Amino acid sequence: MEFIQYFGDVFVPFNFMLLMLGTVGGLILGATPGLSPTMAVALLIPFTFRLEPAQGLILLGAAYTSTVAGGAVSAILLKIPGAPANIATTLDGHTMAKKGQGARALQLSFLASAVGGIFGVFLLIFLTPVLAQWALAFGPSHLFWLAILGVTVIGSLDGGSVVKGLLAGCIGLWLSTIGFDDIMGAQRFIFHDSLAGGINVIPALIGLFAIPQVITMFAKGRSRLDAEVLEVERHPIGDAIREVFGRMRALSIGTITGSIIGLIPGVGGQIAGLVAYDQAKKTSPERDKFGTGHPEGVIAAESANNAMVGPSLVPLLTLSIPGSPTAAVLLGGLLIHGIFPGSDLFDNHPQVAWTFINSMLIGQVLMCIFGLYVAGLAARVAQVPNEVMAAVVLALAVFGSYSVQTSMGDVYVMAALGTGMYFLERFGFSAAPLVLGLILGPIAEANFIQGSMIANATSSVSQYFFTGALNLTLIAIVVLSVGYSVLMELRARRVVTTKDEAVAKEEALS
Amino acid sequence: MKKLLAGAAIALAAVTGTAQADGHANYPERPVMLMVSYGAGGATDFQARIVTMTAGNEDALGMPIAIINKPGAGGRVGWNWFAGQADADGYTMGAYNVPHFIAQSIEGGVSYSTDSFEPIANWGADPAVFVVAADSAFNSMSDVVGYAKENPGKLTFSGAGLFVGHHIAALQLEKAAGVKLAYIPNNKGGAGAMKAVIAGEVLGGVNNLSDAFRAREAGNVKILGVFDLERNDFLPDVPTLKEQGYDIDNASVNFRGVMVPKGTPQGVIDKLAATVPAMFENSRVASRMKAGGSPMHIMTRDEVLEMWAAREETLKELLAGL
Amino acid sequence: MTDLPRIQHICASGVVALVGVTVTWVSYTQEPAAAFLFPRLISTVFVVLALWTFGKAILGCSKVGNGLSAEALLRIAPGLLVALVYIFWAAKGLGFYTASTITFFILLSLYDPAPHSELKSWVRRAVITAGFLAVMYGLFAMLLGVFTPREIFF
Repeated sequence: MEFIQYFGDVFVPFNFMLLMLGTVGGLILGATPGLSPTMAVALLIPFTFRLEPAQGLILLGAAYTSTVAGGAVSAILLKIPGAPANIATTLDGHTMAKKGQGARALQLSFLASAVGGIFGVFLLIFLTPVLAQWALAFGPSHLFWLAILGVTVIGSLDGGSVVKGLLAGCIGLWLSTIGFDDIMGAQRFIFHDSLAGGINVIPALIGLFAIPQVITMFAKGRSRLDAEVLEVERHPIGDAIREVFGRMRALSIGTITGSIIGLIPGVGGQIAGLVAYDQAKKTSPERDKFGTGHPEGVIAAESANNAMVGPSLVPLLTLSIPGSPTAAVLLGGLLIHGIFPGSDLFDNHPQVAWTFINSMLIGQVLMCIFGLYVAGLAARVAQVPNEVMAAVVLALAVFGSYSVQTSMGDVYVMAALGTGMYFLERFGFSAAPLVLGLILGPIAEANFIQGSMIANATSSVSQYFFTGALNLTLIAIVVLSVGYSVLMELRARRVVTTKDEAVAKEEALS
Repeated sequence: MKKLLAGAAIALAAVTGTAQADGHANYPERPVMLMVSYGAGGATDFQARIVTMTAGNEDALGMPIAIINKPGAGGRVGWNWFAGQADADGYTMGAYNVPHFIAQSIEGGVSYSTDSFEPIANWGADPAVFVVAADSAFNSMSDVVGYAKENPGKLTFSGAGLFVGHHIAALQLEKAAGVKLAYIPNNKGGAGAMKAVIAGEVLGGVNNLSDAFRAREAGNVKILGVFDLERNDFLPDVPTLKEQGYDIDNASVNFRGVMVPKGTPQGVIDKLAATVPAMFENSRVASRMKAGGSPMHIMTRDEVLEMWAAREETLKELLAGL
Repeated sequence: MTDLPRIQHICASGVVALVGVTVTWVSYTQEPAAAFLFPRLISTVFVVLALWTFGKAILGCSKVGNGLSAEALLRIAPGLLVALVYIFWAAKGLGFYTASTITFFILLSLYDPAPHSELKSWVRRAVITAGFLAVMYGLFAMLLGVFTPREIFF
């Protein structure tokens, strides 16, 4: 209960101002297509050098929290996820927006984010020592199985054809192997200088989602068709609150999956949303509605990606190990003031530690309030004329992908992938499984290689990867997940017409 | 509008033109980029941000330095870019890590070597140390070597990658102790390698002194030896490998500093070589580095040139046997 | 017209299959084998799935996705061309902000339904362009401190 006595520090005027600034700024940066949380936090480092440790962390923590949630705005309204964490949100969120329920989708996403986020921070506050042990339990073999679990999600992710989904996933996995191999340092598939650094996930994400949207807007031509303007119906906030808590299963699956996956160093929030979405879909009696603008899809994905924020900081705060790029940046923010995460942080600088954690708690609430306000403005965004939106998104995609590593090569990669993706999308391929492949590839490969090196030195590969409770549990989940997909696929054959209709409807709308 | 801009461009070009004529006296006239070939938040990135934070002062460069990260494959991505694609105009600097880039150039498969770069100054020297988890049965290097002798090839220990300082230290240890070890390179750099040690995935690890110092403060690891010629100020109680009877020098010490691409005008190099070491000596920089647990070691351009050449020779010899 | 989507499906899946075959060939011929272990695994699955899809397209069983009509392609072409010139040449050649200004204005002019004959619509386009670029400059150059090639306008 130590954290309560430091609540006052959050409300010191200057600290609270920073918190507001971080939240609102983060929300805007997150909602801007092409800007990711890691980038927003990295770009803020120079500011934190000038601030007191607690203040710098308040700014970074608030920005981290709200950029993750803000990414849902462009995911829902434009089908452009702000970060890998928001990919799952596009699946149902954007379909809802096309039906005129953009405001409702946004309200649900922010409310779900806040619920998930607050739960995650409470885990951080009360269970940190236990969770730290958990985080360490995941070694190379477990991370490998976890990545495989992610791969099994690929096929069933986005309606349409399972084979094409898997094929898109394979393309993504292959793209992830381009560049220098991370462990051996061998060069692979470097056809052009721009590829020497490999394909960075963020520019690829921007290209694969934003560029097809731009081209789709071009395809509408000069005609002003009132029927095609996205309409946004007003939606009372009270109803949204009732709905979020009314859909308890999706909310709890999202929150719990997000918290668990967020805890694991190295996997982080990138896949939390997608895995939670998949689990919510598989356990729902209304699973056929997923992908056609079902609110549960939005709730599961968004509660998961904010639930992961708190637990993802556990390895950093207790063990001094940054589990994600964002956590690495936060570590720099602490070290610059001579504060070492770990026992030093909680014993000698409790004021810094607890003010930071409390500010994330308050930040979640503020984020939700501002987010609901933003949801009210959704109608305005929808009124931006087609041609202006196309030009704005194009310019943001270029600037955004350039800024990640100040690299022109990333911009070329972004454009090439995006243009290719537009044409592939016309033929039933979708971007979500491709990006998932791109994210999971390195996790699966590096952990397999490390695991087998350790296994070869100590025991045998089969013993290392196939024994132990955690390995077996993960393998069981993988088998269940695959078996379930196959079963559903066989059953779906009979109701294939409804699925085709849903896809046809989606295509007609886009 | 465009005409106006063009006019402004000509005016500006005229101003800069005169400056270039008299040997870069006014350099730098705009902010300078510093390319770091490791990710934001890593030890090199963190230190680079600290040592360059006073660059905007009048007695330093008078212009701020912006950090640009190009991480990947143990630094190869960034240095390849720096050797091949960076502009040699003095506005693009790079951070070097020795022995990493020299070892990688000897191993091959990259398009840089010591001849591709011009050193400016060195800011830090971070020795490799041998760490084991806090609850490990090993209490000295002889325990470790003893275990390795009884179980050849079974002593797993982590490090940041292949052909980086940690790997060099590992090779030196194998050679000096005459044992066979299982070095497990990590794809997440020093932080990932440290996690593997703390989580017990491996029996030990080679890691940066600065990170290991922090992990020991947090009570997670024991530090058994320093791969350097002398004990370190941060860890006066930890003996060097040499003291423990292994003939290991400082070839694996991670020297960090600033360089520019080959072909940068000599005037710019001279100016940087004169101002940058003084910039590193700033007291604010020193206190921040000390607070962050990062050992400093300032060297001038001539000293760095000598160090590079010496290191290249040792590494060639060490890596020849692979 | 009914056969157009089918031919397009064959072409699209043909391209994917070609990429799959190339990737597989490259990954099985390159050395060192240890570094290519994973690419080999992936490319094998990749090529099998790609050939399957290609076969389905030839048999006319590919139904998902309704291809691209000639009219849509014509509407896309000018915008796509401008976008590609912008990204692959202008952004670096002219500097980010100059190139973005020009591209932005051209795209507005190409796709804005307002009549080209009225001065009012041109002024509107110019104002929107200037406003947006000011926001971009404020966000990226001033607030986030991102360096772009050739700095501001040159």
